[in-house]
Amino acid sequence: MDWLFFFEISLAGLGTGGLYALTGLAFVLIYKATRVINLAIGELLMLGAYLFFGFAAGLALPHWMAILLTLLLAAVVGGGVERLFIRPMLGESPISVFMLTIGLGSILIGVVELIWGPNPQRLPEFLPTTPLFLGEAYLSSKIAAAFAAAAVMVVAFVLVFRFWRGGVALRATASDQAAAYSMGINVPQVFSLAWVVACVIAAAAGMLVGAIGGIAPTMGVFGLSVLVVVIVGGLDSVFGALVAGLLIGLLEALAGAYLGGEYKLLATFSLLVVVLMLRPYGLFGTHEIERL
Amino acid sequence: MRIGTAKESYAADESLFDTAVQWRWLLVFFALLLIFPFIATPYWLFMACLVAINVASATGLNILTGYTGLVSLGQAAFMGVGAYTVAWLEINLGTPVLVNLVAGGLMAGAAGMLVGVPSLRVKGLYLAIATIAASVIFHFIFANWTSVTGGVSGLTMPPGTIFGFTLDEPRDLYWLIVPITVLMVIGAANLFRTRIGRAFIAIRDRDISAEVLGIRLLRFKLLSFALSSFYAGVAGGLWAYFFRVVTPESFPLLMSIFFLAAIIVGGMGSILGAILGAAFMTMVPEVLKMVVNWLSPWLPDAVALLSPVRVMVFGALIVGFLLFEPQGLAEMWRRLRRQFHLWPFKT
Amino acid sequence: MTEETQRQGERPVSPLRRRLLGYAAATALAGLLGLAGQNQIGSAQAAEEIVFGGSIPLTGVFAFAGEGVHAGIQDWVQIVNEGGGIEGRMLRYEPEDTAYKVDASVAAFKRITSQFQPNLYYGDSTAFSKTINPELERNGRMIMAGASFATELNDPDLFPLQFMAGPDYTEMFGILLRHVADTQPGARVAFVYSDTEFGRDPIEPGRERAEALGLEVVETIVTPPGSVDVSTEVLKLRRARPDYAIFHGYVQAPIPEFISQARQMGMETRFMGTFWSMDHTVVMGMGEVADGFMGVMPYRYYYDEAADAPMLERIREMRPEYQSTAYMQGFLTAMLMTEAVERTLAAGQDLTGSNLKAALNSIEDFDTGGIIGVPISLPGNSIPVGRIYQADTAAQKMVPVSDWIRLDQTGG
Repeated sequence: MDWLFFFEISLAGLGTGGLYALTGLAFVLIYKATRVINLAIGELLMLGAYLFFGFAAGLALPHWMAILLTLLLAAVVGGGVERLFIRPMLGESPISVFMLTIGLGSILIGVVELIWGPNPQRLPEFLPTTPLFLGEAYLSSKIAAAFAAAAVMVVAFVLVFRFWRGGVALRATASDQAAAYSMGINVPQVFSLAWVVACVIAAAAGMLVGAIGGIAPTMGVFGLSVLVVVIVGGLDSVFGALVAGLLIGLLEALAGAYLGGEYKLLATFSLLVVVLMLRPYGLFGTHEIERL
Repeated sequence: MRIGTAKESYAADESLFDTAVQWRWLLVFFALLLIFPFIATPYWLFMACLVAINVASATGLNILTGYTGLVSLGQAAFMGVGAYTVAWLEINLGTPVLVNLVAGGLMAGAAGMLVGVPSLRVKGLYLAIATIAASVIFHFIFANWTSVTGGVSGLTMPPGTIFGFTLDEPRDLYWLIVPITVLMVIGAANLFRTRIGRAFIAIRDRDISAEVLGIRLLRFKLLSFALSSFYAGVAGGLWAYFFRVVTPESFPLLMSIFFLAAIIVGGMGSILGAILGAAFMTMVPEVLKMVVNWLSPWLPDAVALLSPVRVMVFGALIVGFLLFEPQGLAEMWRRLRRQFHLWPFKT
Repeated sequence: MTEETQRQGERPVSPLRRRLLGYAAATALAGLLGLAGQNQIGSAQAAEEIVFGGSIPLTGVFAFAGEGVHAGIQDWVQIVNEGGGIEGRMLRYEPEDTAYKVDASVAAFKRITSQFQPNLYYGDSTAFSKTINPELERNGRMIMAGASFATELNDPDLFPLQFMAGPDYTEMFGILLRHVADTQPGARVAFVYSDTEFGRDPIEPGRERAEALGLEVVETIVTPPGSVDVSTEVLKLRRARPDYAIFHGYVQAPIPEFISQARQMGMETRFMGTFWSMDHTVVMGMGEVADGFMGVMPYRYYYDEAADAPMLERIREMRPEYQSTAYMQGFLTAMLMTEAVERTLAAGQDLTGSNLKAALNSIEDFDTGGIIGVPISLPGNSIPVGRIYQADTAAQKMVPVSDWIRLDQTGG
């Protein structure tokens, strides 16, 4: 057993896991507040990456400005999607809303392809590329930087979620919609807020993912692994998404290194099946009791 | 003008069609199906066969999703199981076509039951995601169990023969595919006049209530999975005879989404809906292509727009129908009929 | 029919409704007959022209190649027609978009073959070629080539009417490995490939070829299709310490990230690619890391100003901007096909699939006008010729680093 190799692989896996956790967070946020499973999360992430590409490469803006504009526009997209597509579906069956997000994902792919074409592109380099060694162990500096950025955002988010008024309103809505209404919380506004914040997070994750692997209209498949992350962690658990994100990243890396690349998706989805059989509501999700 | 149909017995209430006019139209439709292969070009025959295969599979998914309320994103994977079974049997044993198709259906049905097992513990969207897991795992098996599935290059099979006819052209395959699809659709339509079908509907409307009424949830959910996958398996088998090359990439997750979209656009929980939806969604890309061809003299770059527009239209159809016509094309059809019935009064 | 429905059937149907329904039925029938009519008109037109059909991926994931192929075929058809056609018969190119989906490709094939009578056909994917080949044999009128260089298709017994205008993927590996063995005998090589049909194609035979050439295959690394993050794969490659790593089954991503991480680790490995990742735009799009990236290319690049390449001069006249290697592939495919037609007609034979293929196989030491730098022969289904090019990012050019390597001459 080559421990150094194992250590390096684990580091790389945790690095990707950070991005899973971040995207998972966006997913959980929407689910918690609005009970919508958003299958378009991968496509929102892709859209974020392309917006950044458009600003940084297309318009040649400085990177910091491109990042800010991307996040801003992502917020607008999030609010718009909620208002145009999700709000009219209030009270419809969750399955319909779920399908609606699939359709939304398809529309987003089409829009991106229409504007930027179907071929893969590379983002301008905005992450450091100097090699990084922890002792003997190598860690890709891009991945390390992406992980650090993800970690900062996650911490910031958790703090906001805990202390800011909007965060409290969000949690109140999540735990009991009717009670939140009666306490004077503007629930529809909270829904919008959840989508806005989630889209901003997804766009940030998209820029990081795109910086590592390049961008393509098909990069939404990243969302497939994120789906596993949130199901394993529990759909309504922020903590679960973080833990499961790191766990899935690690698992994929180890499966890829020791079994071969074709086993990566198999390993994550097998874990998903096992978790569903043992704990159908995820590791940290709430087990809701159904009443007639 | 006909204001309504008075039903005077339970048999009348359960019957598939409530007027004789509908039966006549059905006869006209079957007559058209009969003469179609003699007048259509190979291209239209090809499209007709493709539509029929998709109708069979969409009808199966409708049993599970539209009538039992269990969302599945594994329909393409089950088609794959059926297609591989049929291809393997045709290559290695050379058994008769119909036997192979039934075997493909049964194999897919068994796979469906296996995937359905978690459906008692998990439901709703968790189940949908469990079926994604199933399709990933099946894809892995297709791609890596090389001795049986031929690995990534898949299986290439000889054409099937039935009563001495070689089925190697859409013109011949039409006579295999369309009758089987018609049979399967009629079977599905009649299913919901029986106890089993009614139990499915009860589970969809509220599974706990259904259980209280004495419906064994596990048994009926598994049965629904099995039936739906059986349909997918037979459709997959037909697909295999049609294209004669089965590879792991033939049945992507996108195809499962396509079938879900087809029943949403057509109308969930409606036999007519699955037919209309599958036909419509199969034809949309082709129609778009024709439109682009017409436009190309004026819009020289029209072809480059085709792919994004196709993807967008696909998404927009799902979103649009969910928002504005949740009952789908079937409901539009019903409304149209009502207009004719009630004319000159307004509906 | 139950008693109830019979009774309802007796109810009168309004005359207007009946008339409307009648119209509807009549229109439907007329429509169907119209479809049938189209067929006859089409076949009458096709009598004197020679039709070149194509299921071309003009959109979708393979669009970058499809556009090039499309332009290449168009240009060659134009050149032939400007020169008076083949024995006075004009060429007619009938392409249709497939979005690189098998069912759409087959639909396009059905539509083109039912409307025209093509003798030549360009197909997009391997799966399409495998699906259509039995049909070609039955139909007996066509030969086909395509965008796929799959090893499987390079079998004249199984696919008698198919060919490819270049080496198959295994032969590409053979050419790369021959170059490696020549420059560094006994070198350690690694294969990095994607987990797709395309990616896995040459891996096993490639390993055998490497061993036959005295090279050591130290690692084969498979990446899941569409994977974003390759850091674990690079770590694996670092452990294997190969002198050469060959990428296959990709177009661009994740090659640049792979190379850049490997460089960061201080690896000296030299990276190589196969046809579809070797286009000028693709390689230069990788950025700085592409410098020194090598690969096999059966055609000369658009900007090659070799004296023995008049056809490239002609292409540059027709299209002043850079044309991709996919363009060259489409152009050469069309050139070889029309050569086969010309030879068949010259021999006074009918344009049947087997005659055309026999004429194609009779091509020996054929001058492609410099698109391929050596005279070529096409004894089977492929042209096992290629050359190693290397990216020079400073000059923004792909420069040849080997001579033309012919596997057919020395028995690769």
